[in-house]
Amino acid sequence: MAEKATKSALHVSAILVVHDGARWLPEVVASLMSQSRHFDDILAVDTGSTDSSKKLLTTARLSCLELEREVGFGDAVWIATQSLEENENRENEWLWILHDDCVMASDALEQLINAVEDRPQVVMAGPKILGWHDRSHLLEIGISIASDGARWTGLEQHEYDQGQRDGVHEVLAVSTAGALIRRDVFEDLGGFDHNLSLFRDDVDFGWRVRVAGHSVIAVSEAKAFHAEASASERRPIDVANAFLHRPLLLDRRNAAYVLLANSTWWMLPWLFLQLLGSSIARSIAYLVAKLPGYASDEILAIITLVIHPRELISARKFRRKHRLISARVVKEFIPPRRKQIRQSIERLFDSIRLAVLPVAREKVSVDEVITDDEDLLSPVDSPRWRSIFRKPKVIAGSIMMLVLLAWSRNRFGNLVGGSLPATPSGARDLWSTYFESWHQVGMGSESAAPPWIAVLASLATVLLGKASLLITLGIFFAPLFFMLSSYRAFSRITPHEPLRVGASFLYAISPVSIASINSGRIGTLAVLLLLPFLAIASSQWSSIERVSWRKLFAYSLLLSVLFSFSTLSMILLLSLTTVKVALDYREFLVDGEQSIFRIRIVKRLVLLLVPFLVLIPWSFKILSPLSGILLEPGIATSGGGFRLAMIANPGGAGSVPWWIVAPFTALIIIGLFSRTRAKAVAEFGFGALGLSVILGSLTITGNGSSTPTRVWVGSLIACATLAAIITGVIILDRLREILVVTNFHFRHMLALSLTIATVFYSITSIFWVVTAGSDSPVRATSQTVLPAFLGAEAGSKTVVLREVNSNGRVNLQYYITRGHDAFLGEPDLAPVETEEITKAVRELVDGTGISSSKTLARFGIKYLFVKNSENRELIQTIDGLGGFARASSTSAGVVWRVSGALGRLIYISRSGDSFPLESSDVGARTNVPGPGTILLTDTYSRSWQIFQNGVRLERSQDRNGLTTFRVEEKGEISLVHDGTIRRGFLSLQLVLIVLVLVLAAPSGRRKREISEKELT
Amino acid sequence: MKFQRFFSVVALTTVTLILANLLAGVASKEQFSENFPAVVCPPTLPGLTSQISIQKRSVKFRTVGSNSSKFIPMRMTRFKVIKNPILVDAQGISPVVWQSKAGNWTGGTICTAPVSNQWFVGGTSDVTTRGHLVLVNSGLSESIIDINVWSENGPELSKVFTVSDNSYITLSLDALAPGATQIVIHVAPRSGRVNSFLIDERGKGLRSLGGEMVNSSIESSKDIFIPAIPRAVKIASRIPQELRVLVPGDSDANFSVEVVSDDGKFTPVGLDEETIKSGVVNTISIDPDISSTFYGLVIHSDQPIVAAVYSRGAKDFTWSTAAPKLSPFALSVTGLNPTLIFTGDSIDVSITAKLSSGKTIKRRILGSDIGFWRVPDSVLSVSMTKVSKDTYGAALLSSQSGTGYFPLIPGSTLTRSEVPSANIRVLNP
Repeated sequence: MAEKATKSALHVSAILVVHDGARWLPEVVASLMSQSRHFDDILAVDTGSTDSSKKLLTTARLSCLELEREVGFGDAVWIATQSLEENENRENEWLWILHDDCVMASDALEQLINAVEDRPQVVMAGPKILGWHDRSHLLEIGISIASDGARWTGLEQHEYDQGQRDGVHEVLAVSTAGALIRRDVFEDLGGFDHNLSLFRDDVDFGWRVRVAGHSVIAVSEAKAFHAEASASERRPIDVANAFLHRPLLLDRRNAAYVLLANSTWWMLPWLFLQLLGSSIARSIAYLVAKLPGYASDEILAIITLVIHPRELISARKFRRKHRLISARVVKEFIPPRRKQIRQSIERLFDSIRLAVLPVAREKVSVDEVITDDEDLLSPVDSPRWRSIFRKPKVIAGSIMMLVLLAWSRNRFGNLVGGSLPATPSGARDLWSTYFESWHQVGMGSESAAPPWIAVLASLATVLLGKASLLITLGIFFAPLFFMLSSYRAFSRITPHEPLRVGASFLYAISPVSIASINSGRIGTLAVLLLLPFLAIASSQWSSIERVSWRKLFAYSLLLSVLFSFSTLSMILLLSLTTVKVALDYREFLVDGEQSIFRIRIVKRLVLLLVPFLVLIPWSFKILSPLSGILLEPGIATSGGGFRLAMIANPGGAGSVPWWIVAPFTALIIIGLFSRTRAKAVAEFGFGALGLSVILGSLTITGNGSSTPTRVWVGSLIACATLAAIITGVIILDRLREILVVTNFHFRHMLALSLTIATVFYSITSIFWVVTAGSDSPVRATSQTVLPAFLGAEAGSKTVVLREVNSNGRVNLQYYITRGHDAFLGEPDLAPVETEEITKAVRELVDGTGISSSKTLARFGIKYLFVKNSENRELIQTIDGLGGFARASSTSAGVVWRVSGALGRLIYISRSGDSFPLESSDVGARTNVPGPGTILLTDTYSRSWQIFQNGVRLERSQDRNGLTTFRVEEKGEISLVHDGTIRRGFLSLQLVLIVLVLVLAAPSGRRKREISEKELT
Repeated sequence: MKFQRFFSVVALTTVTLILANLLAGVASKEQFSENFPAVVCPPTLPGLTSQISIQKRSVKFRTVGSNSSKFIPMRMTRFKVIKNPILVDAQGISPVVWQSKAGNWTGGTICTAPVSNQWFVGGTSDVTTRGHLVLVNSGLSESIIDINVWSENGPELSKVFTVSDNSYITLSLDALAPGATQIVIHVAPRSGRVNSFLIDERGKGLRSLGGEMVNSSIESSKDIFIPAIPRAVKIASRIPQELRVLVPGDSDANFSVEVVSDDGKFTPVGLDEETIKSGVVNTISIDPDISSTFYGLVIHSDQPIVAAVYSRGAKDFTWSTAAPKLSPFALSVTGLNPTLIFTGDSIDVSITAKLSSGKTIKRRILGSDIGFWRVPDSVLSVSMTKVSKDTYGAALLSSQSGTGYFPLIPGSTLTRSEVPSANIRVLNP
């Protein structure tokens, strides 16, 4: 008790630092004056306030020290301390540091004193700091610093104070707002670092206190309410060494300073890298949020620190002098990396959750006053779990799931078939297909890889690189995804739950959806998925001038993804834009609003051109030849032609039979005569259907096929399908009300007919997909076309001859493979076959190809493989031709080795002798024995280069269209395909994507733009 | 206007449909190349002479074994084969090859395109044999051939032979099943462009016992039709004939035999519902009492069988082998005047014969059970332009050296090979 009595005689000198704090000062002063335990002295320090702060201090009769405006917080406190009288018993003398924007609870000082009285080792204690406006918002209860310089409080974002953190805690540091510091220690340690004029001085001081052998505590019983005026940019930063007077810059600079000045020397390189990395990452994030000022602050903070190394060196010297115990003592207060990462992830997910699922505001009726008694007596109305299954969307989803299980029973595994080639083992393969400048498909191709490969690769990366899993899940659950995405669109049209659920179900089992799934049309599947989102966006199509630029770029990005999967949709948008611009012009002629007309034109062009630019260089490729625009991703398989397109059925393998007629065309025609907004939608659907009928009648070649195939117009039919369903929903939604109140007339008949047609289609199509439809081209299989041994020789070319069902007929077709089956993306890159090879194969089949083997050998084709041929005559014919030596004959097929074929890279000496050179899949590094010619049996490309002794060998194209190089001396050569142009285009694409992403991303706000209420 | 929208929709729909119809392209235009594969005629073994009947001098040929792969014109309508087999680009008119050993025997066969299976029912491996099996690989790649031999003792040989490209090999029959008197040979090429020929020549010391080119059948069958078996009419000189039968499968077969002749159709005594053992070459003596100089045989079995009839003449013998259903085709018979014999329930075969003078003779063979037409002299080719259903045909030809037989089978049929197109789809399972 005696000891307690001695300690209770602590002498507390309050130092209130004021800088343009008139807004908060009255409340702050009032709180000081009402403390349950009064301080012994108080000294206000005004650092050149330009508002009424000084006047308020005078009115409050506080003795005030006036300093220059540029004086920092730490210097102000130090000057104030020096002007205070000194007591004999220095250990009992304490400084209470106060901010002009921080209100102290009435018992704050008392609680702090109580805490330090019991703990002689404590030399610094701080209160629990809560928000100024929301006084239950926990801001700090002790602070630390993360290894990337972030201010670490250990609290969750917007944590609500419920006493969960209460108690007295050992911490690294406490905020200077309301901190109680023992004066002798403060002076011994030189006060706050004068290099930290504002921000982070508290952490630095706490760190120094800790390594000097003292303790710092946070006392939750003591409360303070902090406005954080400087950090939230509520007042200017005028301190002397604040470069550009930017708060964030100063904060980041000081954070780095604290870490680099206090950490052990061997940690410095690692810390510097972390600081630099996190600064760059944050800069990028700020750029995306369109806050270039903050982005530059992050980088400048590091630069301003690095260009003054002497400051750091002297700071470290100073600290070394005052360090009494090991620096490791602070380790326990520095948050571990995993904790930092976990918190970052939690914050990221919180922000995503808030963006996607905004917190529903509780509707509290003022009339409903519930007394305690009522609350107890009222029966609890908690919904039963069974009620979930009565919800239409759950019922529809469950039915769809059951249908899917039956429909896709052959699709449990790696999928292949129809238009879908085999999926490579990992996302890495997809990425390399996208990035590479040379593709080993057929005789080789340098075509630009389509961007949808990058989209799939990104998604596969999210699935830990499992590309085949992505395709399997994507195709298996596609109808469910279609339901979900379209449900969202229909929700904007009708509040009638069964109607929108029914509509989304119909969309998911539409003929185009069934055909796309069954035949593996990933392009159309992507269109079906994205289309409802665009439908939502299209509500502002007519008044596009009202769409914000940010939204416009977001739509452009969505369209870019759509176009990468379906170039046909580009044609549709082009047609729509043309029509709409004409209508805009007509409107302009009527009302003369030039500014609106101009902005409409600009915005429509942006919507059209931005995706085209983002998809460079692929977007140029599809224009040459122009028919390329009609091709969809994957193997070119035939569509059903224009007759089926008329009934919104794309046809082709895996499509529903013609007699299962969906009511979509009827809906569109009915919609055309509607007087509601359904008319506009129906007009769009009519246009899309008309375009699909016209284009569906065409035949094209491409994607590795020289056989003409009917254009697949699935994407256009998908647009028509969605338009038809939206039309139907609008008509039925309105009609429902009319039908209820009117007598029986033609509308009743119409509704009944539509309902019957829809039900008939739904039942028959479901029945078909679970029976005959399940036996579709796309299925899980482990079978491969090529026997494994043909893939053993890296990059060796094999002509595969096989009878395949094409357009309902079995045709003999061939292609050159590099030792494996076709992989995703390869058909889109496949080159047109060489005429000489086609001739050689033709003569091989008709038995006249005496020189076929020579031709094939000249093109480096080593093997001929006839797959599963029942046609023994063909095999006999090949046997009879000569130049083909049987290598194997199994149930998989017959393989011949082409006589005289040397391989991919051939050296031909001047005397005419030739032998193969070693080569990898694309490049090669090998030796040549002397002068001669090197023949590369791949398609000629100007990017093929061979270097010898640092010199590029002369390249030419031989009469077969192959690449040859003249070599003058023996030695090592290096063959490369120079991908500089490809890399250049990819870089340009990346820049454009980032630019559009930044423009599309929601804009961030500077802290000064955020209201105080929001801040708390 | 009240109906403006309606008319607009109708007009737009009509325009769209017209456009679609105008633009409609034909997907996947198939392209074919049609040709008759070159037929292979057998080599001329030492001591024999052989001539090929050709309809035109311009018909081209290539000799198997020569370095040149070029086909050159024959420049004659009766081509003498010196030694090696030849490939004839006969363009659908099947050449007949006629081989003989002067004064001893004669035999004929139709030159055919390579086939995947050949059954030879005939020949012997005993001491009298001087016969050979010839394997011709007319292709330019090595061929691998499986040969299986059965005899009265059961399966004898199962061996793989390799014939290098553009060459032929000759196998002595006595090496295939030493000591066996009745053999059946199955030739099954695994790879290559293979034709095989069986020459059944026999002798005893210096005395020739005759010979024959044994024609092959392509597959075993439950119904065997042998349209023409020569028959000595005079009872005194008539020697019983032998039906050689093999059931290649595992089960024994029940079979019955019908004789088809001018005298009608009947089953000889003892040849109804007979059982023969599988895997063993069976010989059944037949001696039908008929008045015509040839007859046909129809064998019905409950298991697939192969069969042929051995007919012994004065100095020569004949192997009448099974014939497949007759289909329209043309035959070069220059220098030959065979008798074409047709069997069937209702025979209706239209024949056009082209004479060396350029004229044509048209005949229609009508009848039931059996019908025949002897090809007159100076005929270059015979075309069977119209053939009734379920009709079978063969030719018998007699000369001073003996009698020969060959079934009426097209040497090569029109092959329609599709022109392949490039399509990466072949790389998708």
